[in-house]
Amino acid sequence: MTVSDVNETQPNLRFSQIGKPLTRTDSPGKATGRTPYAGDYVMPGMLHAKVVRADIASARLKRLDVSKARALPGVVCVLTAQDMPDRTIATDIPGQTGRAKLKTDQQILVKERVRYFGEPLALIAAETPDIAEQARRLIEFELEPIPGVYDPEEAMKPGAPIVQGTDNIVATHKIRKGDLEAGFAAADVIIENTYITPFQEHAFLEPEVGLAWIDENEVITIRVCTQVIEHFRAVADAVGVPHNKLRVMGAMVGGGFGGKEDVTVETYLAILAQKTRKPVRLEFTREDSFLGHGKRHPIKLKYRTGVTRDGKITALDVQVLADAGAYVYLSPYVLLYCAVNAPGPYRVDNLNVFAQAVATNNMFSSAFRGFGGIQAAAAYEQQMDEAANAIGMDRIEFRRRNYLKTGDPISTGFVPPSAIWTEKCVDLAWQALGEPTPSKGPIKIGRGIAASQQSYGRLTFLHDTSEAWVGIEMDGTVTVRSGVTDIGAGQASSLAQIAAEIIGVTLPNVNVYNSDSQVTPLAGTSTASRALYMTGNAARLAAQAVRDRLAVVAAELLKAEPAQISMEFNQVFVTDDPSRAMDIADLVKVCASRGVHRSELAIFRAPFTDVLDPETGQGQAHPDYAYGAQAIEVAVDIETGEVTVLKCIAAHDVGQCINRAAVDGQIHGGTQNGLGYALSEEMLYKEGRLITPSFSEYLMPTAMDMPHVETIILESRSGLGPFGAKGIGEPAMTPVAPAVANAIADAIGVRVFEMPITPERIWRALEAARG
Amino acid sequence: MYGEFDLTLPQTLQEAVKALNAAGKDAVPLAGGTNVLIDLRSQRLVPKQIMDLGRVPGLRGIVVEGGRVTLGARTTVSDLLASPDIARCGPALVQAATVFAGQMVRNTATVAGNIACGSPAADLVPPLLSLDAEVTLTSTRGSRTVALCDYYTGYKADARAPDELITAISWPVPEANTFGTFYKLARRKGDAITVNGVAVSIGISDGRCVRARIALGSVAPIPMRACNAESLLEGQVLTPERIAAAAKAAAEECSPIDDVRATGAYRRRMVEVLVARLVENAVQAMT
Repeated sequence: MTVSDVNETQPNLRFSQIGKPLTRTDSPGKATGRTPYAGDYVMPGMLHAKVVRADIASARLKRLDVSKARALPGVVCVLTAQDMPDRTIATDIPGQTGRAKLKTDQQILVKERVRYFGEPLALIAAETPDIAEQARRLIEFELEPIPGVYDPEEAMKPGAPIVQGTDNIVATHKIRKGDLEAGFAAADVIIENTYITPFQEHAFLEPEVGLAWIDENEVITIRVCTQVIEHFRAVADAVGVPHNKLRVMGAMVGGGFGGKEDVTVETYLAILAQKTRKPVRLEFTREDSFLGHGKRHPIKLKYRTGVTRDGKITALDVQVLADAGAYVYLSPYVLLYCAVNAPGPYRVDNLNVFAQAVATNNMFSSAFRGFGGIQAAAAYEQQMDEAANAIGMDRIEFRRRNYLKTGDPISTGFVPPSAIWTEKCVDLAWQALGEPTPSKGPIKIGRGIAASQQSYGRLTFLHDTSEAWVGIEMDGTVTVRSGVTDIGAGQASSLAQIAAEIIGVTLPNVNVYNSDSQVTPLAGTSTASRALYMTGNAARLAAQAVRDRLAVVAAELLKAEPAQISMEFNQVFVTDDPSRAMDIADLVKVCASRGVHRSELAIFRAPFTDVLDPETGQGQAHPDYAYGAQAIEVAVDIETGEVTVLKCIAAHDVGQCINRAAVDGQIHGGTQNGLGYALSEEMLYKEGRLITPSFSEYLMPTAMDMPHVETIILESRSGLGPFGAKGIGEPAMTPVAPAVANAIADAIGVRVFEMPITPERIWRALEAARG
Repeated sequence: MYGEFDLTLPQTLQEAVKALNAAGKDAVPLAGGTNVLIDLRSQRLVPKQIMDLGRVPGLRGIVVEGGRVTLGARTTVSDLLASPDIARCGPALVQAATVFAGQMVRNTATVAGNIACGSPAADLVPPLLSLDAEVTLTSTRGSRTVALCDYYTGYKADARAPDELITAISWPVPEANTFGTFYKLARRKGDAITVNGVAVSIGISDGRCVRARIALGSVAPIPMRACNAESLLEGQVLTPERIAAAAKAAAEECSPIDDVRATGAYRRRMVEVLVARLVENAVQAMT
């Protein structure tokens, strides 16, 4: 493919609102505290729910006695697995239509076997939260420990305790291309290293919470904080009602990051509302939240890279082993992202990737911002530095000789349809570090760079679609209706900005109704950096249809051709003669009197493909990819191992900003998330039991820890999203951790191969190097 | 969820100690509440009575008089940061207050509460130990003072009788030729539980060390003085070799454990690094 075939530039575009740092439509409500979140909704007579959890990771439930809890005055309902013998809940990816679902349905409450610490045993609904808590303490259970397995390598050995399936292996992916042996034979140097990435907790500000009731149509209705209202189908199946008798309504979400991508409180709420026929509220405590949703997969990545002295990668062999934890959830998909992204934004013609995800009795792992791609980035970018060192080449120059260029095929043989601006991102980020800070005494300064490749849009074999409705009222105000959930990234505001740009009204004149599985057109998930790409396109199509109809009438009234009509800031005018103008509101009134259709429901379809070839991994996995880079300068105290991040530059090609302030926000947040992943966030498990279940032990970077983050936003206008946008939610985080790791290695001269890179790990690595 | 308890709100110190005398072990005094409320919520603490000291007058304030600095028990961490007297008479305490939890906690947490919680990681205790602080305990029987270095009797055990309240903390105004400093080693910079806390107070006269206090947090069941290390410094010329020997002695006399934040081995080594570094800083500051 040549560059000219690629949708790389759309020159001479002029936007009135797109790309500007406008005040998001959701900002005033949040700044003033008026915006209601799911936990703010209450109903008269509502009950309060509680989940009772197992306190051993691998056990058999010998006895569960809820009689005392049931007898407590004020307790309305206590449920165990015995009350729902046939019920299961699907944990596979929601909304997929392109292939058969995995058989990963799981027990809702423990029937006999406990597979992880915190697995739910019983549900309580009571008149007050205090009574529910007292009832929890009255429930007696006896767990008989059975041998568990807490390490994926152990779990693969013959005779290991079986957690899932027949051999604990929940997914295997292979990618093969070129001739690996010939590639290694052509190499001057072969570099082999193993990188270890840790569990990570999403730690959103708002723990899981929801309120369920049965409405006037006998529909079980759940108001919940979620990234995915499409779970209504799985929850309906779980409680045995038709899909149109279960409604999931979102609210503004206090952070998702993948942690609200799976079903959390919805099933429990639906079951309790169905049983009691009363409104039921369930709010997870922070500890519930630590135990109640999947984590980022810990992954061990073994990289073997062949390079020539003149800096060309000739072969790459990658072995990936992921800890899936006790249940499958999204592990097969996370693992696929890791495999596809194993070489990163580099051209590797002789490639072998073998990836497996293995069940253990640890906490189940599932979606988290970056979704497998981030673990791959943590490894490939550290390996790039190690390879550059091995041949004595400057690490930027070594990367330059291997970048994927626009039009090059990635690991799966697929050619991304957009621009690949990795080189620009790396060079700009690196230059922006400026003059080096001098080292002083035991404080050593180091610099790191990392480039990254991260998909936006869901796996193409899922056959993803998104819908949005746009209509204009007779006073010239616009309503957008779309099921998209707003998880704090400005998903709803982006739709408003797109509709405002196209129809030509000001942003405050657009109102968005979103996140309702029965009332708003279904838009798919707010996951996979897809909401802007998919729903943004649906809103663009719908708004364009409305605009086109208005323009025909405007042309007639202003005595011009429709193509000569401009609409901006609530005015419609002839482009070359703006004195011929009228208010959009007046135009709409005329349209209404003539019966012109003033609304449109549009659907946008991602590319639909089959699955990748199971043996070679060749084919298309994603619609497209985003590329970016992070440059970091750190100070490391080589006596104590303490790290201070001094400078932090993020450069990303976002295709096209919709709202520059929102893009900045995503990059700042992604950087914070990545710094914590690299340096301090650690979930420690002892035989599957989480021993760091609070924010006093689980350490995210605070304001005191955050450096100034400088963002460099590039716009290739080549993406598949509206106006050439790509996604930025996940890409913002992907290169951060390896850039930190590379900076630390640069500062201290040795590498810490396991994250988080704590002071003690640095000290140990230095001690080992000193001998 | 909280257990049930009686809340008493004494209006005077007399009322408070009287009530405490009556309730004894059943009552928990409440000052800033930044530890007590967490323990109540988790039900690690299930008292019959909570005695809120918020209405007792005269318990909050900083006075320098007669060569001594005296803090009322309800003096907050933020009060320390706002006080020119503390900046002059306890710079190590200011350094500890600066890195103490986060702003909201600093605004309400009290000095006495930090002492009373008994945590080996209590950040204000090593600086106070290095200043030779004393704790004033008051009951219906009267007041007595206990040297802070004798206050802790074991892990979360102290010299306070159940009917006694901490009412003040005091220490002598440091001599002019004295330098005090504190360092908190932690897993992050804001709102972190300390991995190692080290405070030193070094006095030098005519080229010799006339005073050495080395206090350590998070490396023993209680915040401790490294007395062996101190005795290696006092009366001596503080050469780099001597400082290194003292730092090594400090590392040997502490007894750190492994926990979720760090291993004992790392902590022990960091005692050596930080003691040497802080004593050297003190020497450099005074020469």
